[in-house]
Amino acid sequence: MKKYLLIPAMLTLLVGCTVKTVGDPNRPITINANVIVDIRGLKNTATSIEDMVSGGQR
Amino acid sequence: MKYKFLAAFTLMICMMSMPFSLQAETYDIKEMTPEVKNALDARTARFGELQSLKAQGIIGENNGGLVEVRKSSPVGSGLAQEENADRMVIYQAIINQNGLGLNGLGKVQAVFAEVQRDKARSGDFIQLPSGQWTQK
Repeated sequence: MKKYLLIPAMLTLLVGCTVKTVGDPNRPITINANVIVDIRGLKNTATSIEDMVSGGQR
Repeated sequence: MKYKFLAAFTLMICMMSMPFSLQAETYDIKEMTPEVKNALDARTARFGELQSLKAQGIIGENNGGLVEVRKSSPVGSGLAQEENADRMVIYQAIINQNGLGLNGLGKVQAVFAEVQRDKARSGDFIQLPSGQWTQK
C-alpha cells in the first residue's frame, strides 16, 4: 500500500502547497508578483527576429 | 486494487497540475500587427545601410538593445533614431503579447543587446553589460 501512495505524495509536495496568512483584515498584505522571464526562450525569439531582419546578410 | 486506483488517480492529478515552468517558455510575436510589420520591414530595408555605418564606426550597439551614434554624423543620427523607434515597437509588442509586465522591458532590451553583441562583426562597436564600450 505504502509504495503506491509514496510517489503521489511526494509529487503533491513538489507541485505546491497552499499558503495561509493571518493578520489584520484592515491592513491587507500586498504581494508584489514578478513575472519571471525565461531568458533562454527570449533569446531564441530575439535571434529569430534579428535573423529575419538581416535576411542572412550577416 | 483500491489503493492502486487511488494512487493512479492521485498521480494523474499531480501530472495535470505540474507547472508549465518546467518547459522552456516561448516568447513570440503572437500577433503581427501593422505597426510590428512596418517596424520589421523598415528594419530589414535599412539593415545594409546600418551595417555600413557600423563598419565605419559611426554607429554602435549599446547594452540596451538599441543603436547609438559613436561619431557625429547627421545621417547616422537620423538612421539611429528611426532604427531605435522601430526596435522599441518590436520590444513593446513582445512585452505586451507575452504578458511580461512592467519589468519586462529591461529584460527584453538586455537579451536583444546580447544577441546584437553575438551577431556583431569584427570591428563593430558594442557596449558590454558593464557599460564599457569596446570593438569586437
